[in-house]
Amino acid sequence: MTNSRQAIFDNVRAATKADVDRYEDIPRNYIRAGGLDSQGRIHLMTERLHEYGADVVECSSADIRQTIFRQLHLGKKHQIVIPAGLLPAWLDSGANWLVDQNLTHEQIEACDGVLTASSAGVADSGTIVLHHGAEEGQRVISLLPDFHLCVLRASQIVETLPEYFSRFPEPPRLATYISGPSATADIEMTRIKGVHGPRFLSVIIVRDDF
Amino acid sequence: MSGPVMDPRLAPPFPQAALPILQNTQLRKNVAHATDVIQTKRNRLVAEKQDWQQLRSAAAAIRAHVLANLAHYLEEFEKNCTAAGGVVHWARDAAEARQIIIDILREEKATEVIKIKTMTSAEIQLNPSLEKAGISAVETDLAELILQLGDDEPSHIVVPALHVNRQQVREIFARRMSLPQLPDDPEALAAAARTYLRKKFLSVPTAISGANFLIAENGSVAIVESEGNGRMCLTLPRTLITLAGIEKVLPRFSDLEVLLQVLARSATGERLNPYNSLWSGVVPGDGPQKFHVVLLDNGRSEILGRKVERQTLQCIRCAACLNTCPVYRQTGGHAYGSPYAGPIGAILTPQLEHMQHAQSLPYASSLCAACYEVCPVKINIPEVLIDLRAKVVDQEREEASRWTDPMYMGMKAANFVFGSASRFRLAQRFGKLGLRFFTDKDGWIRKLPSLGARWTLSRDLPGMPDQTFRDWWAEREARGGKEAR
Repeated sequence: MTNSRQAIFDNVRAATKADVDRYEDIPRNYIRAGGLDSQGRIHLMTERLHEYGADVVECSSADIRQTIFRQLHLGKKHQIVIPAGLLPAWLDSGANWLVDQNLTHEQIEACDGVLTASSAGVADSGTIVLHHGAEEGQRVISLLPDFHLCVLRASQIVETLPEYFSRFPEPPRLATYISGPSATADIEMTRIKGVHGPRFLSVIIVRDDF
Repeated sequence: MSGPVMDPRLAPPFPQAALPILQNTQLRKNVAHATDVIQTKRNRLVAEKQDWQQLRSAAAAIRAHVLANLAHYLEEFEKNCTAAGGVVHWARDAAEARQIIIDILREEKATEVIKIKTMTSAEIQLNPSLEKAGISAVETDLAELILQLGDDEPSHIVVPALHVNRQQVREIFARRMSLPQLPDDPEALAAAARTYLRKKFLSVPTAISGANFLIAENGSVAIVESEGNGRMCLTLPRTLITLAGIEKVLPRFSDLEVLLQVLARSATGERLNPYNSLWSGVVPGDGPQKFHVVLLDNGRSEILGRKVERQTLQCIRCAACLNTCPVYRQTGGHAYGSPYAGPIGAILTPQLEHMQHAQSLPYASSLCAACYEVCPVKINIPEVLIDLRAKVVDQEREEASRWTDPMYMGMKAANFVFGSASRFRLAQRFGKLGLRFFTDKDGWIRKLPSLGARWTLSRDLPGMPDQTFRDWWAEREARGGKEAR
């Protein structure tokens, strides 16, 4: 195996020995920052999420708990898995919360849904970004349940993808970018929602931008 | 039913493989429909992107930069992936990669493995080797599952089952999943796949994936997908093996800001794929606790050393060149006899085969350059096609059988005739005389004998005019440069 490694590196080095190509010289005159204000970004984000068939509501910072509860109640979701680091202030006593501590995959799958926070939103593509920290939980909880309720703070929404990368110069250890619910177009290019991931995505945008 | 031959070493030459496919109107209808739908979506989303050309230039420059500094970035990736808890393996060729994967699976005592769609695993023909080793591979991408259960082969890089329609999918699923009542609406078919695979995701402890990108900066791997089967395979198993070509590396995490944008728009006509996953090594308490990366050369370092051909390795497998190619759109992917079909397959496959197989593929193109125009990383495919044709001709020139090859002899004769003005004039005179027998009254040739018949099989040829240009010119000179009246 070490021989293979050496052989590959020898060949690659021989093939590129005359090359000079500097990272700094890569042309980057594409659009980095968008021109929308906070209201515009939220509007675009909402429009994109609607295009994907996701549900979107807005609420103030003070109303997070009630809004979460209302969304779950409307969707008739009772048993909800949550990451261990989610703010207790978000959790209404009326719902049945299951904290993700050593849960089996079967237990997670049996839940009606999952509630998480998020790390960023990209309005241009309607993308929810999870870095799977304490408020977002390990990857499996936002994957197995059929319903994902996601809290996105308005201050976390950027307009363009490059703006997201500027915000996180330090690469995360884990990341999932969600741009609409699970879908396939493998059969006659007909778009079908929900093959394996959650079929229903519901987003609460918290207006912390005033 | 026996599937098409997708091993470049065994597949018939392109024109021969294409012939029966061109008779299959159902398949051609399916391919035309799918490529039309993707192209329409792609064109709409590219048009809305004001900085599309700037993104393309940046994407091309990033990929070219990586290739020029490949050893550096591979070392960096290896170092960072290892530090994050991954195990990096190196494979010079397909056989070595298969062996590494089988050894890992044996150590894990795996009898079954779940797979995310990976072109590289098809390239190294992994599944048949796994079967031989007593390990059954379960494809979890919906299209790959359709093909696997239907004993069929992929015909497209991104939507590999585009040649199959819903009635055919229904028939395959009903038979293989024992669901005789299954209706043929896509919704129900996808639901059947969901149920079938959910059990596998929850019970099979080992997974195999490819990689869209390897990030040198932190040793992470990126996978883009739509269905969520990828996330399942990357999250639920205990052990994950990622197989990737050595050219897949990117310098930095932030380079994804360019590549993800151009890939999604080019591949499926979306602003971003529904799901993108990134992970570095092993993350305690989240996902597989054993992670292996198998980095595959298999001819890539050889391509890297060729001046014109190197750009082949810039490819990010979006398949935009397939959807737009007037040849692919007629034949679909099976005629290419390789998992890599279309224009990119026509340049990649023969090179991966060290120019020993698939030499007909560089000719499977009209050189119209539509592929170059849509390529998000600006691979000049026609340029590479022409260069590879030259290489094929160079090879043929060395072959002993050349003296019995009518094409070679014809070219030799043409070379002789075109080499001198008087020989050319003589040939024109005889040609005119000879062709008169085959020229219809309206001046068109519709049927030539022997080798010429291949030309007139699909096109008409204008007959030789009474006066050639040379005759006309000579006459004009004789009149002192005045036009004939």
